[in-house]
This record gives sequence, structure tokens and C-alpha cells, in this order.
Amino acid sequence: MQQLSNFAPPPSSAVGAEHFLTDGSRVVLRVTRCSACESSWFPARAQCSNCASTDLREELTSSSGIAYASTVVQVGPRQFHAPYTLAYVDVDGVRLLAHLTSADALAPGAPVDLVLAQIGADDDGPLLSYAVAEGAR
Amino acid sequence: MSAGREVFVVGAAVHPFGKHRETPADQLGYLAVSDLIATTGVDPARVDVGFGGSVYGGSLLAQRVLQRVGISGQPVFTIENACASGASAVHLAWQSVVSGAADCAIAFGAENLSSLGGGTLPLTTADLEIDQGMVMPAAYAMRAQRYLNDWGATVDDLTSVSVKNRANGVDNPRAHFQSPVSRDDVENSRQIADPLRLMHCCPNSDGAAAVLLCSEEVAEQLNGPRVRVAASVVRSGRFSTGYRDMTWPDITERTAAAAYAQSGYGPEDLDLVELHDAFAVAELLHSEALGIAERGKAHAEVTTGQFDRDGRVAVSPSGGLLSRGHPVGATGVAQICETYWQLTGQAGALQVRDAQIGLTHVTGGGIFGVDNGACSVHILTNL
Repeated sequence: MQQLSNFAPPPSSAVGAEHFLTDGSRVVLRVTRCSACESSWFPARAQCSNCASTDLREELTSSSGIAYASTVVQVGPRQFHAPYTLAYVDVDGVRLLAHLTSADALAPGAPVDLVLAQIGADDDGPLLSYAVAEGAR
Repeated sequence: MSAGREVFVVGAAVHPFGKHRETPADQLGYLAVSDLIATTGVDPARVDVGFGGSVYGGSLLAQRVLQRVGISGQPVFTIENACASGASAVHLAWQSVVSGAADCAIAFGAENLSSLGGGTLPLTTADLEIDQGMVMPAAYAMRAQRYLNDWGATVDDLTSVSVKNRANGVDNPRAHFQSPVSRDDVENSRQIADPLRLMHCCPNSDGAAAVLLCSEEVAEQLNGPRVRVAASVVRSGRFSTGYRDMTWPDITERTAAAAYAQSGYGPEDLDLVELHDAFAVAELLHSEALGIAERGKAHAEVTTGQFDRDGRVAVSPSGGLLSRGHPVGATGVAQICETYWQLTGQAGALQVRDAQIGLTHVTGGGIFGVDNGACSVHILTNL
């Protein structure tokens, strides 16, 4: 069990800064669960997009998950300096898209950790965000 | 929605797809619509309503196109629904006629992508996946990785889709690519997003297509070849950020199920399908969701020739998006044009023998939380 007291919002310049907390290396996601229909939402939202209930709970996920699928992108937006690796990752009931810190794609089902990482750079400097690293089996 | 009078497609026109860098979307649309007016001989004053589908064509595209052929003053709408924009325009034209609100409706799609520069299609609706570097090839690449993993298919099967559809496009004068490719060509083309290589991806193209829909009474007055619209359906993606099976495009299944119910036909009745093969893996995913292949078995249908032009059901006998190219908003209309020519015996070298029932399918949209944002299925028949 990680000490969530060490987790705080990332610098506001981070990509998707409002969607996660970090202790400087690991990341947890801010999600919402609907109390009426139990749908899970990332990013967090004030109204359930399944049943329109406004009775939602804010929760933090753990910082590990499972790769659903991944790919190495050879042609993409300039700020990501292709090639870069993307993965769909399942974490505590939500699926998110994130950069992988490895150069190669992961096999479906591989364990991953959510980490803080540089995912690109634009004219203003490095782009920091949540990302995933291959986890320990 | 099935209750209503019969609706017919009475004419089709495509301005050939390809690179038309100097020809803006409204001019491409005009060329297709002008051809349609000439082919059908319809008096522009007889057209009650018009719909134009486009993603990047700009404000009031439908007016800018239709007013040039005398369709001016009538209600006219520009429709944006990602890759399904053109088919959505046709669907709205069908709604107008089936309901009795109109007797004659024109629908077109037009797009110029060259003007946007090269590379992947720009996704302009900022969302958190696009902020993370999502591009359409990556979305399909991950579906492909998962499909190959879950169902025992291989990259060779994706290559078979590209080789088949590029061969189909060789004799299509409207196709962006009219040359065949070998397995080696595909396997040696550059990586785009593994397992997808360049020749597993459709090209960004420029082009336009147009169709005329009308009631039986108007169809008889125009007295040209016609096919009946047995089903016209549009559905949106179901939004979810939870776990979901990305090898099963439920939007296609739901849209097709509604079209089968509306028409009274089933997947076993189809002679041909024009399918949204924006990427080779899409033919596998969507043919299963359309019900023309068993779950997890579409790759075997392709490799054993079942989807060839002379196979059990011809899939993308026009060459598909892999050959025709993908001028986003025009694609769905072009599929209906190709199927109209098939069912009226005007498809020339592309002709599927004894074609009586055809289905067209487009799906698209690069927004997070849905497998696709919009999908449209049409079933046309000469019966």
C-alpha cells in the first residue's frame, strides 16, 4: 500500500495535470465512480455519462495496471518526436491511453506501473505527464 | 423508422479520388453534383432538399456546392459526422423522402485533405487521448495487436486484405490507387504503427461523390436505372472509459442489426459489401460485426478467397478505402455510388455477377471513449 499522503498534483504545465497526482515518480489517477450505476470514469466528471446521475464518488486509483494493447507510432504530432510508444492500460476499472516509457510495444496482459515521465517536448520545453512503465511480474 | 414509402437511388456520380491539391472541396463537390444533374436529367427546381457531408470543407459547404447547379433557395444542410459524414448526408436525404417531407433529395460528400498537409489525419477535437499523441493509425494498430493476439491471426492476414483490395481497385477509374501490390510490397512498406505498415493504411485523398434519392413517382418520371434503399441507418458510439473489447466494434454490430431489421435481409443475403477498410485490420473487425464472418474467423475468410469479387460475398469489390482512398466526408457517398453501379449492371470490370443486394458501411471518429463516433449502414437492392 503506497502512502497517498506523499501524492500531490503535478506542475500545472504537465499534460493532463488535473487528471492525476504524483509523488514525483509514481502516479495515481483521479477517477469518479457513479453511485447509481457503478460506471467508472477517467477523467473525473461531475455527471455520469452512462445514467446522468450527479451522485458520483471521487477516488484515486492504485499506480499499477495491465496493458490492453500497445504500438510504436512512427508518424505522429511533432511534439512527440516519433517514434513513440502508446498503450491502452487498464487500471482499477478505467482504461486510459498513455505513453510507454519503453521503445518497444508490450504484449497484451503485461503488468505496468503508472509513472511520471517526459512524453515529448514543444517550443516551451519538455512535456511532462502520466505514462506507463513495464512493471514487475 | 422502416414504416414509410419506398425510396430509390436514381443516380450516382463520383469525381475521381486522388490528389487534387489545387481543387478545393467546394469545387470537387460541384464537379460531382454537376455530373449527377447531367446524368439523371433532374430539373434542379425538382430537388426539394440537399445535404452535403464534409469534415474539413468549412461553413455552408452544401450551399456553396449546390447553388452552382441551381439548387438554391431550397433547404440545404452541411453535415459533419467524421468518416460517416457523407453517409449521414445520404441518411438524412432518405429520411426526408421516406417521411414524405420531400419527393426528391440530393446528397453529396466532398473533401480536400491535401490542403491540410501530409501525415496522419489531423484530429481537431482536443481531448485527453489526442493530448497524449493519439492518431488514427495508432488506434487501429492497437486493435490489430489485440485481434492478432486474441484470435490467432497474423500480420500476413492483414497483408492479404491489402493485396485483395488493391487488386480490386486496379480496374476502378475512380480509385486513388489503380495498381496492384504484392505481398512483398506490403511487407516492405514502411512501419506506421506496428503491426500496421504503410500499405495496411488507406491514403488521405481528395474527391467527391453525389447521389439522388427520390420517391417512386419521381423515379418513374426520371426514368433511369434505379435501386431501392432497403435500409438506411446511422448510430453513434457508446461512450465508456471502462474496460471494453476493442476487437468487437459494437457500433457496427448495432448499426447493421438495425439495418437488417429494417430491410428484412440478413448478412447471408448479401452479394457485396463496401466496408470501411481505412486500415486492413478494419475489414476483419467489421466483417465479423456485420455478420458476414464468424467471430475470430474473418482472416480465414479473406485468405480462402471468400471475400473476393467472385467469392461467397464480395467485400469492397471497388477496391475499398485501401484503393479508392479516403476523402473522409466523400467516402460513404462513394460506397453508395459504387453499389448503385453494381446493382444496375453498370460496374464494368468491377461487376459482381448477378449482384442483387449490397451493403455499405462507414464508421469513424477519433474521439476518446468510443470505438468510433459515428457509423452508417445502407442496404440497397434491385429486387
